[in-house]
This record gives sequence, C-alpha cells and structure tokens, in this order.
Amino acid sequence: MPDWRRVKDRLFTVVTVALALLAVAPLFHILATVVVRGGSVIVRGGVSFFTDPPAYPGSGELGGVGPALLGTLWLGLVTSLIGVPLALLTAIYIVEYRESRLARIARVFTSSLLEVPTVLIGMLVFLVVVVPMGRYSLAAGSIALAIVMLPYTVSYVERALEGVPRTYREAGYSIGMTRAQVVFQVVMGIASRGVAAGILIGVAKVLSETAPLLFTIGSARGSYPTGPQSLLEPGDALPLLIFQFAQTPYSNWQDLAWGAALLLTLIILAIFALLRLLFREVKL
Amino acid sequence: MVLRRLAALLLLVAVSMALLSYAGQRWRPEALDTIVLHGEGSSFLYPQVQAWSEEVRSTYPWLVVNYNPTGSGAGQSAFIKRVVDFAGSDPPLTGEAWERLRGSVVQLPVVIGMVAVVYNVPGVEGLRLNAEVLALIYRGEVEYWDDDAISRLNPGVSLPHERIIVVHRSDSSGTTQVFTLYLHKAAPSLWPQELVGKSPDWPVDYTGRGIGGKGNQGVTELVKRNPYSIGYVEYAYAVKEGLSIALLENREGEYVAPSPEAAQEAARNALGSLPSSPDGDWSSGFDAIIYAPGRGSYPLTTWSFLLFYKEYPGPEAEAVRAFIGWINTEGQKRVVEGYVPIPEELRSLNLKAVDMIGVAGG
Repeated sequence: MPDWRRVKDRLFTVVTVALALLAVAPLFHILATVVVRGGSVIVRGGVSFFTDPPAYPGSGELGGVGPALLGTLWLGLVTSLIGVPLALLTAIYIVEYRESRLARIARVFTSSLLEVPTVLIGMLVFLVVVVPMGRYSLAAGSIALAIVMLPYTVSYVERALEGVPRTYREAGYSIGMTRAQVVFQVVMGIASRGVAAGILIGVAKVLSETAPLLFTIGSARGSYPTGPQSLLEPGDALPLLIFQFAQTPYSNWQDLAWGAALLLTLIILAIFALLRLLFREVKL
Repeated sequence: MVLRRLAALLLLVAVSMALLSYAGQRWRPEALDTIVLHGEGSSFLYPQVQAWSEEVRSTYPWLVVNYNPTGSGAGQSAFIKRVVDFAGSDPPLTGEAWERLRGSVVQLPVVIGMVAVVYNVPGVEGLRLNAEVLALIYRGEVEYWDDDAISRLNPGVSLPHERIIVVHRSDSSGTTQVFTLYLHKAAPSLWPQELVGKSPDWPVDYTGRGIGGKGNQGVTELVKRNPYSIGYVEYAYAVKEGLSIALLENREGEYVAPSPEAAQEAARNALGSLPSSPDGDWSSGFDAIIYAPGRGSYPLTTWSFLLFYKEYPGPEAEAVRAFIGWINTEGQKRVVEGYVPIPEELRSLNLKAVDMIGVAGG
C-alpha cells in the first residue's frame, strides 16, 4: 500500500516548481536572447560601440550608440535630481501628516498617476515645456521622466516609512528631538534600505522608458551632450534608439538596437547591484 | 550627519556631471562651431534623413542634422508650432494648412519610395496582379489562388488550389494608406472611398482569412512564414527578405515590377499636375504619384516631402540653404538601399527653394 499522503505531497511540490519555472522561463529567454545577440554586437563594435554615433543605415559598418548612452546617463542623473527629492518629501508628508486632507489628496493623486499612460505624460510635457521653449531638450525629457518616476518611488518610500515601528519615533521624541530630526535621523535611518529600493526602482523604471521621451527629447542622434548646458538641447536615449532602430529594415541598425538593449540591461543591473552594496538592512 | 550625507551626494552629482561632460567632449568627432538643424516627422523618411545627416558633413563639416521619427502628422504639427526647423512628411500639407501658412513654407519631394505586393506561393514567380484582383482578394471575394480572376492574368502559370491568406497591417500605417488609395484609384467600383485610409475596416477580416501584422516587419514575417499568403510592404523589406514580388498593372495596362526606373517614371509623370514652384500648394501631391500615368511607371509609388520655412533667425538660414542644395545634388547620389532618388526634373525644381530661403527680417 503506497503512502498516498507522501505521493500527493511530492506531486504538489513538483507541480509548483514546474509552474514557477514556466512563469520565469520567458524572462530568462528574453534575457538570454538579449545577452547573446547584444553581446556579439558589442564585441564586434568594441570601444567604438560606446563612443561613436550610429553608422549609415544598410552599410556594413556598425558605428555606436555614444550620444544615446550619454543621453541616458544625463537623463538618469537629472531625473533623479528632480524626482528623488520630490518623491521623498511627498512620501514623508503623506506618512507624517496622514490625517491632513492634502496628504490624502497627494496619496490618491500619486497612485492614480500610475494609471496614466506614460506617452500622455510626454505629450503634456511637450505642450507645457517643449512648445514654450521652442525646442526639444534633455531637460524636458527629464521632467517627463521625473513625473513617471514619482508614483513608483513615492509608494515604495511610503511603505518603507510606514514600516518603522512607532516606538522608535516615541523614543526620538522622548529625548527631545524635533519632528524633522525624528523623520530624517531616526525613521529615514531605519528605513534607509526601503527608501533606497524605492529610489532605485524608480530610476531603473524611467531609464528604460521610451514613451515619455518620444515627444520631449527629439532623438538627436548626432549631438553629443558636452556639459550641463546641453540639457537645453535635444538629445537621444538608449530606449528611444532601440525602439526606433528595431523598426527599420537595416540590419546594422537592428544590431545596434540589440547591443543597446544589452547595454541598458547592464546599466540597470549595475544600479541594483550598487545600491544593494551601499545600503545594508538595518537590524531592529 | 544629514548635512554630511547631503554634501557627499552633491559631490557625487558634480563629479558625475563633470565625467559625463568630459566624455561628451572627448567622444564628439570634431570640435567645430556647428549649426544644428532639428527635424521631425515621417518614420519612412527617417533612415534616409539620418544617412544624409552623416554624409552632408563631408561637404559641410559644420552642419549637424537631427531628425525625430514620430510620424508625418506629429512632424507637421511640431513644424507648425515651430518646435523644429524642418519636417518630414509622406503627405504634403493639406490645402487648408497650406493656406494658413501661405507663402512662408516650401515643400520638397526629396526621395521616392515604393510599396511592393509580396506573396508566398511556392514555385510561382513573377505573378501578375491588378487593382481589381487585389481589391477582390482584400474584400475576401477571391478565395483560392487558382481563381479565374488571378489565372486570367497569369496564363501558363499553374496556380495551386489553396486558400489565400491575406495579410495587412494591424497598426495605423502610411503604407496601408498608399495601398488602399491605389486600389481606390484603379478600381473605384470595387474599392470605395470608405476603405481608403491608414487603418481601414478590412472586409477580408470578416471571412476569417485576413490577418494583421505590426509594422512592415510584422507583415514581412507573416508572409514569409505562411505559404499561400499575400501582403504589401515597403520595397526595402521585400528585397531584404527575398520575398516574391508581384508585377502590377499600371494605368497604361502594362505589368510593371517595382524598380528605381519605374518609380522615377511615375514621379516624372505625376509632376504634370503639380505646382511648378516649391512654395506652391502641393496638397494633391500625395495622390498624384500613386497610379500615375505614363509608360513604364510603377503604380504603387510614393514620395516623401521635406518642409522648410522660408525665413529662419540667423545662421540656420544658411544651414537650411546648404542642406537643401546638398540634398538635391550630392544627396541624390547617396540614397539608402530601398529608396529611389528623384529624377533630374524634380531636383532642379527643388533647387529653386534655395533662393527662397533667407534670414528673418533680413
């Protein structure tokens, strides 16, 4: 007589593992394809893949994604400068003043921002920033990306701050700390890992966004940003280049798109790794 | 402690800005004083404009041209809002839009394109088709490859008794507009005006034999993968993927395969009904080249326009003049695979625009 309970238990484990594998298989397939196809392109292009502008479409040459790479890095930096303080302060406000009406409005507003298609945010920035300025610019792109980033970072940071037990705040108050000191030195300190996670998820999310950039940065594939003043000029970004080159019939441009896809993946992985290293979990 | 962290963060930002700036200056091919022209519009035109923007620098090293491929409509609207210096567009400005900008813009057809009707019937090459038969196929009324309507045009070709899989674009597309406009112009009784557009309501879809592919790439893949299918794509895709291309009946009753000569012939013959100056009303220009008259002209031919203002503030005017001049001389010798250079007549017409452009207020 077989032990049915044991058999059923085994069966259950096997099925769960199989289904879990099935769920992540496409992800690994995508990653593997990007690594294989993009890797060979980057190897073929060498250093010039990172520094040169794209080559002539349909020619045997490859060129590179220099302007797009620099553009993406600038966008990441400036978007963080705009978006992170905004998101942090919003999240702190929502948590610390949860009873106030404004905080409730802010909470609803940021979470409903998640539902807005990002291309609409790009169009809004086109009308509000690009048209008055009279040109596309990396700065306009950063503003659009900062808006896209806001709801992600706010909700993560919010949850991290809420997770800090009340007793720690009370301890802070009891030794005479001000509200600001409690927030920035006690709560933020304990929640630093969660806060960092919120920021990096926001940054990683926007670095790979295409839609908000379509109508804001102008795909300036021949211009290198040479300093902060270039932020007021049109620029390029890796996801935009991938999107636009993948739709052309020219194999050297499609190759560039594959290479750029791997590069973008690596940049995002690097951000994750870096912040994991920098921010350790605070043991309570 | 908070202050120290903030200082460290600011330092980090400053250092990364400096690094990025240094990399930009280092990687930039040259450090000349450049004039940058920004354009936007047609994604069909994009690879060509991008290619020109590289090539033009061998003549004018100071000229940088950027182009944002967001589509003809977006390009025109950005151009009208003066966000960009020039626009690329498959259809020229409508009569109404031109009237509003009257006298302040020039429109130049700079490159010719073709749409190829592609099919996948093993063993059959050089299939002949006309607009009536294509209309019937896309209406779903011709169901089998050996239908009388098709075999009548292809005497001596043995066509299989297989159902036709009809492929069209699933996304809104200028290619679709060209294709349906051709059907309407050449077979108006079978393909009414309502079915002309960027994403019409395909009658064949109601028979269950119509499938949609996203982009030229999608249609190409579907035709390649499905035996007994038919579709339409930009010429470059058909050639790149080695698909079989159908010969189409033109206005003179000849069966013509897409080729640079046949496309230029269509352009030459379309000019008859169009303005003789770049600042004229070209609104009928999109229509005119499709199913154009003339012996040897390919009926599914298109061209794409660049739109410039007549006045620019300061040095951009010089840059625009140089760019237009170069495109219509040297640039026509450097046309990317899949596009066709414009014929001589059109080049000299476009070159008239050079003298129309000047500095605002100058």
